[in-house]
Amino acid sequence: MSESLQYLLNPLQYEYMLRAIWVSALVGGVCGFLSSFVTLKGWSLMGDALSHAVVPGVVIAYLLGLPFALGAFVAAILATGAMAFIRAQSRIREDATIGLVFTSFFALGLVLITACPAGLDLKVILYGNILGIAAGDVMQVVVIAVVVLCLLGLKWKDLMLYCFDANQARALGIKPMVLHMILLGSLAAVAVAALQAVGAILVLAMLVTPGATAYLLTDRFGKMIWISSGLGIVTSMMGSYASYFLNGATGGCIVSLQALVFLGVFVLAPKHGLLASRRARLKEEIVVKEGVS
Amino acid sequence: MSYPEYPEKVESAPTLKVQGVSVVYSNGHQALRDASFSLEGGTICALVGVNGSGKSTLFKSIMGFLKPTSGSIAINGLPVKEILKQRLVAYVPQSEEVDWQFPVSVWDVLMMGRYGAMNFLRIARAVDRKIVEESLKRVSMWEYRDRQIGELSGGQKKRVFLARALAQEGKVILLDEPFTGVDVSTEHAIIGLLQELKKAGCIILVSTHNLGSVPEFCDQVVLMNRTVLAYGPTADVFTEQNLTLAFGGLLREFQFEQSTIQAHDGRKVRVFSDDERPLVFGKDGHLEYRDRSDHEELLKQRSKEHNE
Repeated sequence: MSESLQYLLNPLQYEYMLRAIWVSALVGGVCGFLSSFVTLKGWSLMGDALSHAVVPGVVIAYLLGLPFALGAFVAAILATGAMAFIRAQSRIREDATIGLVFTSFFALGLVLITACPAGLDLKVILYGNILGIAAGDVMQVVVIAVVVLCLLGLKWKDLMLYCFDANQARALGIKPMVLHMILLGSLAAVAVAALQAVGAILVLAMLVTPGATAYLLTDRFGKMIWISSGLGIVTSMMGSYASYFLNGATGGCIVSLQALVFLGVFVLAPKHGLLASRRARLKEEIVVKEGVS
Repeated sequence: MSYPEYPEKVESAPTLKVQGVSVVYSNGHQALRDASFSLEGGTICALVGVNGSGKSTLFKSIMGFLKPTSGSIAINGLPVKEILKQRLVAYVPQSEEVDWQFPVSVWDVLMMGRYGAMNFLRIARAVDRKIVEESLKRVSMWEYRDRQIGELSGGQKKRVFLARALAQEGKVILLDEPFTGVDVSTEHAIIGLLQELKKAGCIILVSTHNLGSVPEFCDQVVLMNRTVLAYGPTADVFTEQNLTLAFGGLLREFQFEQSTIQAHDGRKVRVFSDDERPLVFGKDGHLEYRDRSDHEELLKQRSKEHNE
C-alpha cells in the first residue's frame, strides 16, 4: 500500500515536476478562459492558424536572442494582417485564406529551424517541453498569463457582447474593432504560452476543448467562463503529473484528459448531453402518442 | 402604467436628418445615391423598398457602421460620432442575425442595453436593474427573465430585443423586419408598444416589406429604391403610382375590375390573406384603409371629389 502511494507521490519530489504542474495549470487556466470566447465566436480555425503562424517568429526571436514571446507576437500580427489583406483583395474565401496563410507561416518556421540549427529543437516546438522549461521562459509565460487574465477578467462583459452582438456594441459607443484586437491579441499571446506546454500541434485543443465542454454544461456565459477555466487548470495539472509516468508526453496527456472529459460531458450533460436530448425526444414522442390516442 | 423616464423625452423630441447620403461599397457597388429625408420626434416611419433597395445600407449609415461616401446624417443636429457616444440610436436586429444558442439569459440581453451607461467594468447599478425590470415588464417578459434566449417563442424573442432597445433609452429606434416569424397577437403587442414610444416622442424607423401593415401603424413612409423616392405622411406617399415606381412589377396584385367581382357584389367584397396583409387601392389608385372610422376626413374629401 505505502509502496504504491510512494510511487504516486514520486513525481512531486522533483522541483521540475512541481514547476511543470503549476506552469501548465496557469497556461491551462488562461487557455480555458479564452476558449469560451473562441468557441462562441467561431474562431477555432483562427486559433489553430495563430498557434502555427507564431512558429517562425519564435525561431527568429531565438536566433536573435530576443524573448520568444516578442517574435511570436510579431509573427501573429503579420499573419492576421496577411489574412485580412488576401481576404480583402481577392475572391478567395475566408477559410481558404486562413488555411493558406497559416500553413505558409508554419512551413517557413520549419525551414528556418532546419536551416539554422542553433540548438532550437523542432520537437520542442511541435510537442512542447514543459518538463524542461527554462526559468526565463517560465517568466514569459507568467507575464503573458497575468496580462491576458487581467485583460479578459476586466473586459469579459464587453467581449461577450462583441461575440454575441457586435452591432449592439457599436450602438452603445463601444468600439468593436478594439475588442476584436483585444481578443486576437490575447489569442496570439496565449497561443505562444500554450506552445510551451503542449506544443504547436495541440495548442488548438487547449483553446477549444474546455470551452466546448463548458458550453454543453451551462446556459450562462459567466458560469461557462468559470467551468472552462477550471477544466483547463485541472486537466493541465493532472496531465502534466501523469506525464511523469508516460515518458514526458505532457501535451498528449493534457489533451487526452480534456478529450475524455469532453466525451463524458457530451454523453452525460444534464441538459445538452446526448442522453438528455434522447430522453427529451422520447418524452415528446410519448406526449404526441398520448395526444393521438 | 406610468414610466417616469419617458416624459423627459417629450421635452427634447429628437430630429433625424439624412441629407444627400450616397454609399458606394469598396467593390464599387453603389447602394445609395443622394438619399434625403428628415423626421421629427413622435413618429413611426416605415422604410419600404425591395431587397437591395438600400434599406439596410441606410440603417447601417444611421447607426454609424458605414461611413457615407458623401452627404450627412444628423440626430438632434449631432453628427453620427456624437450620436454613438450619447447612445441615441437603439437597434432591434432581425431574428436571423441573432445566435440564439448563445449562453445568455433574457436578463443578460437586457443588461447589454445598459452597458453604455455603466462604468468600464459593466457592473450593474440599482438604476440599471430598475430600468431593465421596467423594460421587461413593459413587454410582458418579466417572468421569462432567467430563460436562455433560445428557449423562447418567435414573438417572445422579438419582444426581448425590443425591451433591450427600451432599456437603452434610445431616442431613435430602428427595427429591421420586426414582423417576420411573429404571430398576429405579438404583432399587435409590438405595434401597441411602438405607438406608446411614439407618444413619448421617439422616432421609430421600421424597415419592412410587409406593405399591408404599413398604413395600419405607420404615420410616415420613406419609399426607397437605391435612393429616397418619396417620403412624408403615409396617405401621400403610399399611392399606387409611387409603389409601382418603387417595386416595379415585383408586387402581387389583385385588380378588382379584372377579377370576377361584378356590380352585384357591390361593396360586399372581402379580402383574405394568410401571411402578407393585402393592400387595397380605390378607383383612382389611391390608398384604401381598412377602417373607415379612423379616416372620416379623407372619406369626405374623396366623396366630394367624385360627386362633383
